Amino acid sequence: MAEIGHGGKEIVERIMEPAQAKEKIKGLKQIPIRSQIANEVIGIAYGFFSPLEGFMKKADIDGICKNMRLANGVLWSIPIVFDLSDAEISDYGIKVGDTVVLTYQGNPMAIFEIEEIYDYDRKTICQAVYGTTEDKHPGCARTYAYKDKFIGGKITLVNRPKINPPYEPYFIPPLEMRKRFKEKGWVRVVAHQTRNVPHTGHEWLMKGAWLQTYGELPIDKPLVGVLVNAIIGEKRKGDYIDEAIILCQDELRKSGYFGDHNHLTSLTFWDMRYAGPKEAVFHAILRTNLGLTHHMFGRDHAGVGTYYGPYDAHILLESVKKDLNITPVYSMNWLYCPHCGEVTSEGLCNHKKEWQKFSGTVIRSIILDGVKPPRLIFRPEVFDLVMECAEKYGFGSPFVTDEYLKNRTPVFSIPPLA
Amino acid sequence: MAEEKYPINIWVNEERYEKLKAVGLANMCEEMLAGLKVLRVYANNAQKDKILKVFPTAKFDSATTKSIELLPRDVKDKIFDLVVAKRNIDVLDEFLSKY
Repeated sequence: MAEIGHGGKEIVERIMEPAQAKEKIKGLKQIPIRSQIANEVIGIAYGFFSPLEGFMKKADIDGICKNMRLANGVLWSIPIVFDLSDAEISDYGIKVGDTVVLTYQGNPMAIFEIEEIYDYDRKTICQAVYGTTEDKHPGCARTYAYKDKFIGGKITLVNRPKINPPYEPYFIPPLEMRKRFKEKGWVRVVAHQTRNVPHTGHEWLMKGAWLQTYGELPIDKPLVGVLVNAIIGEKRKGDYIDEAIILCQDELRKSGYFGDHNHLTSLTFWDMRYAGPKEAVFHAILRTNLGLTHHMFGRDHAGVGTYYGPYDAHILLESVKKDLNITPVYSMNWLYCPHCGEVTSEGLCNHKKEWQKFSGTVIRSIILDGVKPPRLIFRPEVFDLVMECAEKYGFGSPFVTDEYLKNRTPVFSIPPLA
Repeated sequence: MAEEKYPINIWVNEERYEKLKAVGLANMCEEMLAGLKVLRVYANNAQKDKILKVFPTAKFDSATTKSIELLPRDVKDKIFDLVVAKRNIDVLDEFLSKY
């Protein structure tokens, strides 16, 4: 039975097997790509970005900027583009109609059928997607850093990525993910989007969303799961290291705060755009393709600084609900109330003057100060694992440093074509 | 209208608590988040802006706690040591004068 993704289209993996790939790539021009593009090749090829079959053409960018839609009318909020400089286009001798091989880490990764070479005004993209043209917005900075021209065309993966330890169990592409949900007997699955090590506020966000998603379903057997989908991509100094993020998210299940019956951890390769509401729509699309039925959204989803209002994402999602095949679940904040003696929801507790809010940033500060947070705020198993990851993977720190950026093991490798 | 103040949270571990006790300042700690002790040093708007400029890894948590977070440990140690030396939390002008 066909697995249907976003836009009502069947999810089809665009992957060529090695024997056929070796013949196909013979004699083709090779173009090396950077990690962002490699991440997006994986996203396109495995169906995370369905119905996209390749990097976007000008008509798609036009549609996104004017109507938040692809040229074919399907809802889409963030351009997925391949860029080259004029010098590179000339040096490689690239023209429309060519087929080239994209290489990553020196090895063939994907075939790229070039259908269009075009330019597009970067400020127009920034204003439409990020709501600002300020280059201090990281999404705008990324857009302004794109090279001279965009290249549109279809992608086919010719060499599956080798996922390095400890990430291997967590790379679950859409078709495989849907199988896992069926095996677990989950009829509803709610996405928890994260780039962080979980504190209990996150844990309660997941528990609250699980309850919201469960709704009226019968309780005789577990029918609902939480899928943690960690975004793994470009890192900034001060972020948690990727190993800590993925292992600590899974630790909540391993340590019994959740269980196999209601929790699964996974990752998606994506470099955050911090596009706030537009990125919330993109996340809804991504998790639709992963087979989820629901997606939780808190305050200021995927935002940065003060560019977006706390509920702008909710408002935008409501406006496009009929174009989504996933139900947004809106999460209220969880905080510590000393009167209640517990972490509670701002929608429940009325001891407003006593509320003590906490965030991932505050927890990081506490850890930086050499203090172990109490178990009501940060689970001891997660704390111990953060410290273990710091030694094992982080060169002594659980946070990204220059040394980590330089010497870390990459999340995936592209091996030589077998 | 009173000028807005933004706390720098100095989370007090055993070592810091002993230093505060030694100079009779243990009562300046507040208890928060189910048992943590914190010493708050307040910055005004100009001081906040300077701190965020001088220490680029620091972040103003505008979304949740409206506090200045992620200052490096050694920076917090310097501020803390000034509080202990002056027996006063109003130390940011002197601290920032060095930058």
